[in-house]
Amino acid sequence: MAKNQKEFNTKLYAVIAFFAVLAALLTISVTTFKSKYTAFHPEEVAKTYVDTIVQTGDGYNAYKNTIVSKSSKYGDYIRKYYMYPVIYRDADYSAEKGTDGLKGYNDEAFKGEKTLNDDGSLQGKLIETMYPFYERLITQNGWDDYDLVFKSYFEELVKVRKVIFGDDYISDEVMFTALEANVKTYGETLTGTEDKFDENTGIQTSFKSTGKYQTAYGEDYKLSVKVNSETALDVALYKENCNEALFETYGVSIDDISEVKEFEVQVFSNEALVAATDVLAVKIGMSWYVDNTQTTTDGLYGFYNN
Amino acid sequence: MAEKITEKTQQKFMKKSEIITFGIGLFGVALLTGWMPDYTATYFADFAFKGKGFDSETMSNVISMVFLVAGIVGAVCELVIGYLVDNTRTKFGKVKPWVGFGVIPLSIISMLVFAAPNTNNQTVAIIWMFVIYSLYTAFCCAVESPANCFGSLCSPNPSERSSAISIASFLRSVGQSGGMVVILVVGLIMKAVMGQQQFKNAEGQGLDLVISTAVCALGIVLFVMIFFTNNKERVPFTQEKVSLKDAVKVVFAHKNLLMVSLTKLTGFGRGVYGTVSLYIAIYLLGSKDLKLGLLLPMGIGTAVGTLLVNIVLKKFSTKQTFILFSLYGASSLSILFLVSRGIGFNDGLIIPFLILNFFCGLQHGNTNVTPNIMIADCVDEIEYKTGKRQEGLAYAGYGLFSKIASAFTKALGPWLLYTWSGYMVSTDTNVAYAAQTDGTLNKLLMIYTIIPAVFVVLQAVPIFFYDMVGEKKEKITAALMERREKANKAEG
Repeated sequence: MAKNQKEFNTKLYAVIAFFAVLAALLTISVTTFKSKYTAFHPEEVAKTYVDTIVQTGDGYNAYKNTIVSKSSKYGDYIRKYYMYPVIYRDADYSAEKGTDGLKGYNDEAFKGEKTLNDDGSLQGKLIETMYPFYERLITQNGWDDYDLVFKSYFEELVKVRKVIFGDDYISDEVMFTALEANVKTYGETLTGTEDKFDENTGIQTSFKSTGKYQTAYGEDYKLSVKVNSETALDVALYKENCNEALFETYGVSIDDISEVKEFEVQVFSNEALVAATDVLAVKIGMSWYVDNTQTTTDGLYGFYNN
Repeated sequence: MAEKITEKTQQKFMKKSEIITFGIGLFGVALLTGWMPDYTATYFADFAFKGKGFDSETMSNVISMVFLVAGIVGAVCELVIGYLVDNTRTKFGKVKPWVGFGVIPLSIISMLVFAAPNTNNQTVAIIWMFVIYSLYTAFCCAVESPANCFGSLCSPNPSERSSAISIASFLRSVGQSGGMVVILVVGLIMKAVMGQQQFKNAEGQGLDLVISTAVCALGIVLFVMIFFTNNKERVPFTQEKVSLKDAVKVVFAHKNLLMVSLTKLTGFGRGVYGTVSLYIAIYLLGSKDLKLGLLLPMGIGTAVGTLLVNIVLKKFSTKQTFILFSLYGASSLSILFLVSRGIGFNDGLIIPFLILNFFCGLQHGNTNVTPNIMIADCVDEIEYKTGKRQEGLAYAGYGLFSKIASAFTKALGPWLLYTWSGYMVSTDTNVAYAAQTDGTLNKLLMIYTIIPAVFVVLQAVPIFFYDMVGEKKEKITAALMERREKANKAEG
């Protein structure tokens, strides 16, 4: 029995098993990561960018695929350049200095009675009141000039909130909640909504509505996005046209850009071409990002009217 | 004669390091098996086929079916593996080969659960989910069940065995929550490497789950190999083959073993508190963020309780320990109920509630450890009576009862919450959680405290009929040792 035990080297088996499994897990993980992580595939980045806009009119979240989101979280970028200037409008705020030691309108002291006692109903009223403004803003301008969208929207939000709540309180949470709810509603006006019931109690939580896409392409419409062509561009020439100062606010140095590609991305409804746009993608490190400064998405918003 | 018996039964067999490496092995197994079910459900529902345009209602129903089928596969495999373990005769023993060799396919299949095929065909996607998760469940049983019953084989000395089981149970309960730490650390590393927004994008594609699974899968191999190289089965297996008839008899006809298994059934409602923990955090304590605050003290209490049981077992028998902890558990939950009613549902309740939650957690140490020690004792008793050692089936039977009890808990919890308590769901899209009546809030508190307390008492009832303790246990232990000595001598 003892002799038999020696024949099988348990420690050697343990070492071999560990490294064999390590190799197998690495292979599966890397393969899955490469195939799923869109930022490694420029055509996927371009497609995802267009698809996000087209499916629900969501130019807001589409920026998560762009150089705006290269170095910092997209939400942090919005806070830094568009929310804090509003919240700390009477303090000495700048993007470089930050908010340390500053007192803004997000301070508890600015909360009035209505804010303190709101169970979500007044916040809901704020969102509903802001929606027509948001819809008009996007219908007229699209999302390419995000600077205009954020500045106009938040300026209006402060005014409307004061009327509803009767105080000057404003926080990034209030701003994100209102904006993101409006983005969602805008999407639902395009896609339509279904009757929904709470699965535990059976109570109806949302109602059926017909979207603009359904009116244009039928109730069971399906929009698909395809890359039609891909062109490699001259990197040096591209860099000459870049707005270096703007890139710096994204935390991107143009020296880090190693490749540039242009994609023609087409949108189809039941095989019929309904929209198209050119998307510029740049490679930084191993990942690809859409260059939002040189990509136009106007044609992706009102195409269903044609 | 009595002194001679005591001397024999007190002899130590294990190296100190073996007690630790047994725990490390169980920690590794729990690291992966504790991680898989919840995160698989999340992965299947939210990430596996994201952007493929599959009907979400169909997919949601299918995912429930996948877990139902996996539950049935698990219950069948539990018994089949138990039967196979008891018929395993190798130079490593009967349990170690299942754990040491089974862990390799288990880790790879676990990883494949998080590598969904790139298909636009919904039928293919559905078949893949059923096949891969059922496969995972089967391999999980083939490793986890034998690993759990190693405790009864690590030493012929019941006292030494009890210490090993309680330390291993402690490490196993820590391992079960290990996945939460893994995903946190993986997230931090991914953020540092990729940048915050790119991490968010990768997270949106479920890639943090893929990496975390790889870490847990590698963890199980590493920790099980430490166990595999250092631990020995010290209770020799009996040579008689176990028939299918014997297998069924062991699970259902052996009184003491059946009583231990029945504690799972009579106490099935102990776990309903989990259904309302989110609502307790929101309505009674004022913030849903406090859900983690609720779970953490209870989790720490459970871990401390697991060690505490080991100390109590040195003074009291397993039977007394189990009953004592059950009474303590019911009392602590009742105190929590009374204190909450006394203070009222306001900010002042938060601190006392969280502190009492820790004390309520202590009782879970008992249910993690004591039944495992009792089963090991039952295996001795069965061997003494029949001449056959059947830990595989004994633990499999207990596992089967656990699975049935868990299904009852999953049915009772939502019924209590959504029907009995009169809980109102918000119909206003801007209000996440609707206001509830005082009656509903009181019932939510009862689901968290009084109802589990009743089941904690009920779980102790079968133990009153359990008698593998005291002199009987010592007599059987000594008799078995003598029998094994004789067998050794006969082998030469």
